Amino acid sequence: MSTPAISIQNLTKEFTPPSVLKRGAITAVRNLSLNVEAGHVYGLLGPNGSGKSTTMKVVLGLVTPTAGKTFIFGKDSRDVESREAVGFLPENPYFYKFLTGEETVHFYGKLCGIRGKMLNDRTRELLALVGLEDAAHRRVGGYSKGMLQRIGLAQALVQDPRLLVLDEPTAGVDPAGSREICDLILKFKARGLTVLLCSHLLSQVQEICDRIGIMHRGELVREGPLDQLIAIENQTELVLENASPELLKELRAKIASSGARVVGEGRPQQNLERYFLEVTSDAKKSNQ
Amino acid sequence: MTATTPSATAHNSAHKLFSLGRVSAIAGNTLRDLVRQKVFYFMLVFALVLIGTSLAMAVLSFQGQLQTVMDVSLGAMSVFTMLLAVLSTAMVLPKDIEDRTLYTILAKPVARFEYLLGKLSGVVLMLLIATLLMTVFFCVVLWFWQGREIANISTFAQPHLVDAEVAKVKAGTFTGTLFGGIGVIFLRAVVCSALTLMVSTFATSWLFTVIVALMMILIGHLVPIARSVWMDPMQAGVDMPWHLSLFLRVITVFFPDMQLFNIVDDIAVGTHVAAGIFGQVAALGGGYVAIYVLVAYLFFAWREL
Ligand SMILES: Nc1ncnc2c1ncn2[C@@H]1O[C@H](COP(=O)(O)OP(=O)(O)O)[C@@H](O)[C@H]1O
Ligand SMILES: [Mg+2]
Repeated sequence: MSTPAISIQNLTKEFTPPSVLKRGAITAVRNLSLNVEAGHVYGLLGPNGSGKSTTMKVVLGLVTPTAGKTFIFGKDSRDVESREAVGFLPENPYFYKFLTGEETVHFYGKLCGIRGKMLNDRTRELLALVGLEDAAHRRVGGYSKGMLQRIGLAQALVQDPRLLVLDEPTAGVDPAGSREICDLILKFKARGLTVLLCSHLLSQVQEICDRIGIMHRGELVREGPLDQLIAIENQTELVLENASPELLKELRAKIASSGARVVGEGRPQQNLERYFLEVTSDAKKSNQ
Repeated sequence: MTATTPSATAHNSAHKLFSLGRVSAIAGNTLRDLVRQKVFYFMLVFALVLIGTSLAMAVLSFQGQLQTVMDVSLGAMSVFTMLLAVLSTAMVLPKDIEDRTLYTILAKPVARFEYLLGKLSGVVLMLLIATLLMTVFFCVVLWFWQGREIANISTFAQPHLVDAEVAKVKAGTFTGTLFGGIGVIFLRAVVCSALTLMVSTFATSWLFTVIVALMMILIGHLVPIARSVWMDPMQAGVDMPWHLSLFLRVITVFFPDMQLFNIVDDIAVGTHVAAGIFGQVAALGGGYVAIYVLVAYLFFAWREL
């Protein structure tokens, strides 16, 4: 198998409170091991405080592990070099308020050693990709939450990394903005980028992730391919279009005679998110 | 994008351990941030007002002394560059940590050393701009003073002495020593800035950083006294136990010897200072900056973000 995009080996992270008088250390992550294969979208789930952000920060070399090692495409996270191939969007990002969107992407591009015309082209391309061309010359200080997340994605992508690490990319963003970010992630996936993300929006995770890990109190309690984890092994779903009552009757009879059992029957519903967006986008059009 | 612009990929080339490009990107960004702060203009205007006032003071004082102009102006420049250095450097790290911009920067292939150096360079550039602006204004003030002096001489001096007197005034105003002194003022501000950066790598707040840095600078004024005591306790009339002696040695390494920069006071009263002295002060000041940056890096490299 090829080198995994991320390899975490027996990671433990304890935070020692600065004051000696306080109680002992907090174990944010306990003996966690997992691999994220190249090309996958991996979802890290878990309640608040379960250690998701800490895990990501260790992978990015921002936090030193108490025990264990992490690698990005085989390079130790402690080496600055490992960060060449990764883009990071932190939780609730803020950028330099006095910079415009364009200047922000420029700044991060320069940090990655991109210069001149290549940087200008790259910046324009990325701002278009995240849909911020119109806001390119506005100060980031005036950006909405959703725009901040999108400029955050643009800076994460500036050196064309092979891996994206996204800490709650849709937190605090309205449904339409959240949908756009989701669609962007799906676009990256189609282009072969590896993504590690954590999110509380389980329906979105279900839509975009190939594989998930569930963390609880610093430990990885479940891990595997999403469809396998949530499939009900002994059941099969059948969705029919334009089925006549006669056909249904016939099917039911056949099923009964074969010894299987119909567990449920009904009309499939579209999900609320899509429905909401459909309605509000129509409303927008008719208002204009 | 992944397919169309493979040239944008930086990760094919070998990673450089130190890149001036990254440092200057951070420095430029920091400078931009700092000169957009109100505190910068506030301090600058205050300093300029004081320098301007020095002229009025010199004119109003009966003899119209050049020394008054020099004293007040160089004093104002000293105080404001030092304060500007401490107050703005103390802001630099906590702001990036609070806004989490530090995460996005260090998640790029940027070494922590490059980050610190970039931040310090940004502050130093800001101090340079502030010093240059003050210097230009100071020169205008001096030029006014000189014009007035020459006019006085023409009116009051005996005709055959006018030329000699005017030449004397001209030679005594814009001297190399004066500009060397301004250089020393700038260097002192840079040392204060490096010291503050070091404090801010282990401090948790802006206020704490400012207080500790200012205290260290104050204590720095006592360093020569401490040094004379540990170098020659007998002569100083002190019978010192070994641990106190050790303590004093540590102090003299960690606290900047601020007396070093007191040649500015001599310059203000018109003393000529040899170029060699400036060289020494520059070397020692540079040494302090190097030590503080190194210690700052050691703290910062181990710090949890
Ligand atoms: N810098 C820190 N200092 C002390 N404790 C921390 C620090 N960062 C995180 N923690 C603690 O570690 C635990 C895990 O936090 P985190 O990784 O942010 O969780 P999540 O992202 O899953 O919400 C929490 O209990 C949190 O309080
Ligand atoms: Mg988190």
